[in-house]
Amino acid sequence: MILIHCPYCDEQRPGLEFAYAGEAHIARPADPSALSDEEWERFLFIRANPRGRHHERWRHIHGCARFFNAVRDTVSDKFELTYKAGEPRK
Amino acid sequence: MADTPVRSMPVPAEPAVFSGVTIALAAPCARWSLRARDAALLEKVTGLKLPRKIGEVVGETVCLGPDEWLTRAPAGATLPDGAGEKVAVVDIAERALTLTLSGPAAARVIAAGCPRDVERLPFPYASRTVFEGVEVLLQRDAEDAFTIEVWRSFAPWLWTALTQAAADMEHLPA
Repeated sequence: MILIHCPYCDEQRPGLEFAYAGEAHIARPADPSALSDEEWERFLFIRANPRGRHHERWRHIHGCARFFNAVRDTVSDKFELTYKAGEPRK
Repeated sequence: MADTPVRSMPVPAEPAVFSGVTIALAAPCARWSLRARDAALLEKVTGLKLPRKIGEVVGETVCLGPDEWLTRAPAGATLPDGAGEKVAVVDIAERALTLTLSGPAAARVIAAGCPRDVERLPFPYASRTVFEGVEVLLQRDAEDAFTIEVWRSFAPWLWTALTQAAADMEHLPA
């Protein structure tokens, strides 16, 4: 089983306790009504989907219930590191 | 005519006794979910001492998350609700019920469905986790004493899963 380090619990926890929540560091536009359809589409749907190092959000839903960010390799499925939500991109 | 409130329990009142473990329904108790950004303020409002590390247990109070605690008390107890303060004290007494597992095989029975390394958990310790697909609050009080708090609607299934695991365990070498 994959073990994921929760930055809030500060423990390695089984992957079953976590839920994936998409790409990280996508800021909601400050003024959504000023956006063109193309810009809104980019915000809603267009993702980096890299091969390799990927910043993504996870939620420790069956634990402390917190969202946090993780860097995971999409090829090897190895978690490089996890850090608290709100911290800058690592 | 006033309706008489009737409490029906979704699992048997009689303990299930196996060679290495006894699984029983604990008596109903009062439970509160406590939320606050400022733990010190919540302590002032409730008069409780709150553990600050996730998983830590102080008396009947458990730290579940960075701003979330659970506390329990005997049925009928009350707690100040902190109205007007930036805290949330929510009565969740009837949301969950508690099963107790005691005996030398208790950890192995829980490990049948729980992905945590149950035998190596410290005690006292409590944390939300999963038992197969069901979210539970797993608490270890002693080497061979655990409690599992589960939402009522999942309780019949969890009771069946735990007693089945305990029955299977009797046929395995220790």
